[in-house]
Amino acid sequence: MGKARKPIQIVILFLIVLVGGYAIGSSVFGGSGKPEEGSKAPAIDLLGLDGLGHTLDEYKGKAIVLNFWGSWCTPCVKEMPALQAQWEKWKDKDVVVIGINVGEDQMTVENFVKQVNIDFPILMDTGRDAVRNYGISPLPTTFFINAKGKIDSIHIGQLDLDSLDDQIGKLVD
Amino acid sequence: MSEREAFITNTKCECGHQNPVGTVLCEACGKPLGKESDWGENLEMRYDGVARRSQRVNPSIIDRVWNFFSSVKIAIYLIVLTLLGSMLGTIFPQESTFLNIDASSYYKQEYGTAGDIYYKLGLSHTYESWWFVTLLVMIGASLVICSLDRVLPLYKALTRQKIRKHRQFLTRQKAVLVTEVQEEPEAWVARVVQPMRKKGYRVKTDGGALLAEKHRFSRWGPYVIHIGLIIFLLAVLARGLPGLNMDQHLAFPQGEITQIPDTTYYLKNEKFTVEFYTDEEMPEEFRGKKILPKLFQTKAVLYKCTADCADPTKEPQLTEATTHNIQVNSPLDYKGLKAYQFDYDLTPVLRSVQPVLKNSTTGESYGKFKLDMKNPQRTITAGPYTMTLKEKYMDFGLNEDGQPISKSPYPNAPAFLFLIQGPNLPAEGQQYFYFPKQVDKSQFQQVAINDKLGGSNRFLELEVDNMSDVDFSESTTYLNIRIDRAMPFVWLGAAIVMLGLILGFYWQHRRIWLTVINGELILGGHTNKNWFGFRREIVFILEKVDMVVDEKSIDNGGGLT
Amino acid sequence: MSLLDISSAVFIAAFLLYSGSFMLFTIAIMGRKWSGRKPEEHTARWGKIAFIVSSIGLIFHLIYFFTRWFGAGHIPVSNMYEFMTFLSMMVMVAFTVMYAIYRKVILGLFAVPISIIVMAYAAVFPQEVQPLIPSLQSNYLKIHVTLAALGESFFAVGFAAGLMYLLRTVNFSSKEKADRKQQRLIEFTLFSIIVIIGFLGSVFAFRGAGYETVFVRPNVTIDSAGQENSTIEKVSYRMPPIVAPHNSEIESFQSFLGMKEPLFEAPSWMNGVNAGRKFNTVIWSILSGLLLYGILRLIVRKPLGAAIHPVMEGIDEGDLDEITYRAIAIGFPIFTLGALIFAMIWAQIAWGRFWGWDPKEVWALVTWLFYSAYLHLRLARGWQGRKSAWLAVLGFLVVMFTLVGVNLVIAGLHSYAGTD
Repeated sequence: MGKARKPIQIVILFLIVLVGGYAIGSSVFGGSGKPEEGSKAPAIDLLGLDGLGHTLDEYKGKAIVLNFWGSWCTPCVKEMPALQAQWEKWKDKDVVVIGINVGEDQMTVENFVKQVNIDFPILMDTGRDAVRNYGISPLPTTFFINAKGKIDSIHIGQLDLDSLDDQIGKLVD
Repeated sequence: MSEREAFITNTKCECGHQNPVGTVLCEACGKPLGKESDWGENLEMRYDGVARRSQRVNPSIIDRVWNFFSSVKIAIYLIVLTLLGSMLGTIFPQESTFLNIDASSYYKQEYGTAGDIYYKLGLSHTYESWWFVTLLVMIGASLVICSLDRVLPLYKALTRQKIRKHRQFLTRQKAVLVTEVQEEPEAWVARVVQPMRKKGYRVKTDGGALLAEKHRFSRWGPYVIHIGLIIFLLAVLARGLPGLNMDQHLAFPQGEITQIPDTTYYLKNEKFTVEFYTDEEMPEEFRGKKILPKLFQTKAVLYKCTADCADPTKEPQLTEATTHNIQVNSPLDYKGLKAYQFDYDLTPVLRSVQPVLKNSTTGESYGKFKLDMKNPQRTITAGPYTMTLKEKYMDFGLNEDGQPISKSPYPNAPAFLFLIQGPNLPAEGQQYFYFPKQVDKSQFQQVAINDKLGGSNRFLELEVDNMSDVDFSESTTYLNIRIDRAMPFVWLGAAIVMLGLILGFYWQHRRIWLTVINGELILGGHTNKNWFGFRREIVFILEKVDMVVDEKSIDNGGGLT
Repeated sequence: MSLLDISSAVFIAAFLLYSGSFMLFTIAIMGRKWSGRKPEEHTARWGKIAFIVSSIGLIFHLIYFFTRWFGAGHIPVSNMYEFMTFLSMMVMVAFTVMYAIYRKVILGLFAVPISIIVMAYAAVFPQEVQPLIPSLQSNYLKIHVTLAALGESFFAVGFAAGLMYLLRTVNFSSKEKADRKQQRLIEFTLFSIIVIIGFLGSVFAFRGAGYETVFVRPNVTIDSAGQENSTIEKVSYRMPPIVAPHNSEIESFQSFLGMKEPLFEAPSWMNGVNAGRKFNTVIWSILSGLLLYGILRLIVRKPLGAAIHPVMEGIDEGDLDEITYRAIAIGFPIFTLGALIFAMIWAQIAWGRFWGWDPKEVWALVTWLFYSAYLHLRLARGWQGRKSAWLAVLGFLVVMFTLVGVNLVIAGLHSYAGTD
């Protein structure tokens, strides 16, 4: 018993440090479960207007501007022309703009897309799955994701149309 | 034990037994091994005087850490700090009580500077903060190390007890009796065995010496409590591991099958009912003034998806798993997935209407069709007419420019714009605006709109004939869906704690040593709790051998615990 | 007579019997010197009578409990009134148990009044039988609440014994700094008890006089759709308003002692009409407590602690210390089982989470940790006697805050929902 004392003590203390470290670590770094700047962009699997399922993997290697919107949300509507313009400007430079509609049906989304004349990829999140995974609360919310799939920055609210160009530029660098 | 011991210490007792360094009372005969100046004081009976792991010379860093957590004083400080910390968390509502706030501004806004300081100190999420969790971890460490350090020496001491003890061991206990006895030692001892046994003692004799012991198991009480707490804390920690838990609050409109996200389960709210106490059931004071719910329950059916689950282009195939009437104290429970009744909303939500295309001048009707609020049919044939749905609004309103828009994605004020083509209509078609809800029809003046669109000669109208053609979800129930696989261990820990509490507090470990020698009875007794009751019991036993003793006289200064 | 009528009548009978028992205990202890007999015989005789009376009172109390149960259709522990009457009953149960073990007459002098005060406090709240809302319709209501109350009652008896120990052992004639500190702390404890009695006195006095003043306050909330909703909140003051709710107006004012309007307004951080009313009640309690204390001081001409000290003469302090500890040792497992374990089980079944860190739960944990510290200090660190007695007194304060304070202060100042 005497000789076994020290090793047992060390083992016990080590286990405590391990378990305790995990406990304290998860409280400090646990976060709210929502993705933040610097974290990996959560996966998406949604239906597009083309009737096919789409994931973010399709755009591997490209920077992504992920915009969550709804047709009833006035700032979302206001920023659409700017998003379209950026899409046209950057699409040959490995940047893709994706719009994710929150909770509306196909007809509403189609009509809206025709009305504001946008042609960047649109996905429909009728079940609010992506909304949940990305921790979206107010609309519009835009995620700037770099080519490695990490979230560069998150913008809540209407996009600042002046700096949008610069922001995308930063993404590409 | 704070002073350095001699280079070579002699711990061999006069009875011949060799004790380990740090022993307070000889393991064999109980003679105190301390300094002469301790003479006269009551013995330190903790752990029966056996050397404990943490009393060593020249502690290394491992020893120092070990000793720190082994100390009861430290443990008490930890308990008090946790207590105080917990209190702080109740001053202002914690962040976790809100669904959706911006903590950095909320506390300042609501509670001023005090609130701001509260937030900055991290107190707005006290129970998830690093220092609180650290306290709990330290308590956990203390539980483990305190117990390990004490339980083994105690076990050793209690299982290797000798019957015959040194005189000093007996006379320096906290319950002592020294008195004359005329009988032969063995005869007297033999007589006292019977009443002791009757009182539940296990008695062992050795000539004129006796050891009676009962309820030793009670000594393990505190260690059982500590083990239970350790299991409890580990289980609580395990709950947080990914895959072992889920906590979602979801809405389930009546009559619809809704998916439970992140699972392959779907739940259907077949019917939600709420009953209120009738006036007769309410006391007079509250009649007519207060409405109390008597019962609310959701008749729920749980489905499991068996195919095409993850494909967004296909409809999932479902099979029924279980059904349950979910009430507040009766959740649905299926293979670890639980659904609790959380809240409800009785606002009806419109799902579809079945209007009829009519000729308002002739009264002729051209056909009934179903108009869903969500994903409606885009082209409809009604008799000779073709209707194409051009626009739809879920929550009709006009924006600041007077343009029609939808104010929200919820069917609060649905509106549809059709293009009708067919006989007696212009070639390019006639536009028709339709509000399924009567209240919207009048508010937005559907008639006036359509007059403008179709001209005053228009003759087509959409009408709903009766209420059975209107389909709406009468209510929405809010359920809390949870998975918590670590819970059984939480309950196990709690049960063990209770066992330890009952064992430790409702029984006491009692031992009586006595020696009859040279016409003298020397009796010493020890218990870990309740000296009052112990003394009473000794008096009772001695009465049975015709020895009348006063309770107080046995009290040798230990009486307070 | 319906069951509920019988129930109310029997409750009053129990109250009267307890009061009678208290007076008999007083005679037993105080009358030692004046009767012709030997003091111990006098105390023993009157003590026995007092205990019989208190036990009969307890039987009536139990009858109240069961008749109300059958009359109401559910166990009567579902609202503040019912819980407090149950608590007072449990205090008598704990007292009866401790008395049966230790047979110390003086325990009755201090423990019975606790039960009486709790009963009187219960009468502050609405008494009608209210049907159970769905979340309370569970068997766990029976187990959780009853065991928690029983555990707390043993802590209450521990408090009484601890207070007695202090009154017995503190040297009231000494001028030493350490002793003076003890004297002042005891005096403060006694004053706090008097404030509670003052609170009860004020409530019943103004209620008997039918006092009422009504305030209204506009309340603007923003609902989930971003719409502003304006409602009028109304609160009825049953005591003259020394302090009015923040940002309120008078609807009807009943004058008291020539006072025509509130003396001042509650600070803005006291949100809501009920916060103002509770603050007013607190002020009145302190004022009436001060008045009562002042009168008592005038009568006895010395600090109350010093006045009671001679009563404790001849009582073995070791026994008092033992009773304090034993009461807590018996109560602690019961409290753990009722207030924590069954509470967690019920919470899990009803709400899906066994622990949510809400104030009520946290304070139950604080109470548990406190008594755990008490037991560790006593059993492993040798804290006995005076230190242990003060902890027992402080512990009961924590218990009372958990039962009363959480509802009053924490829920009241920050939200409008909650008990009256």
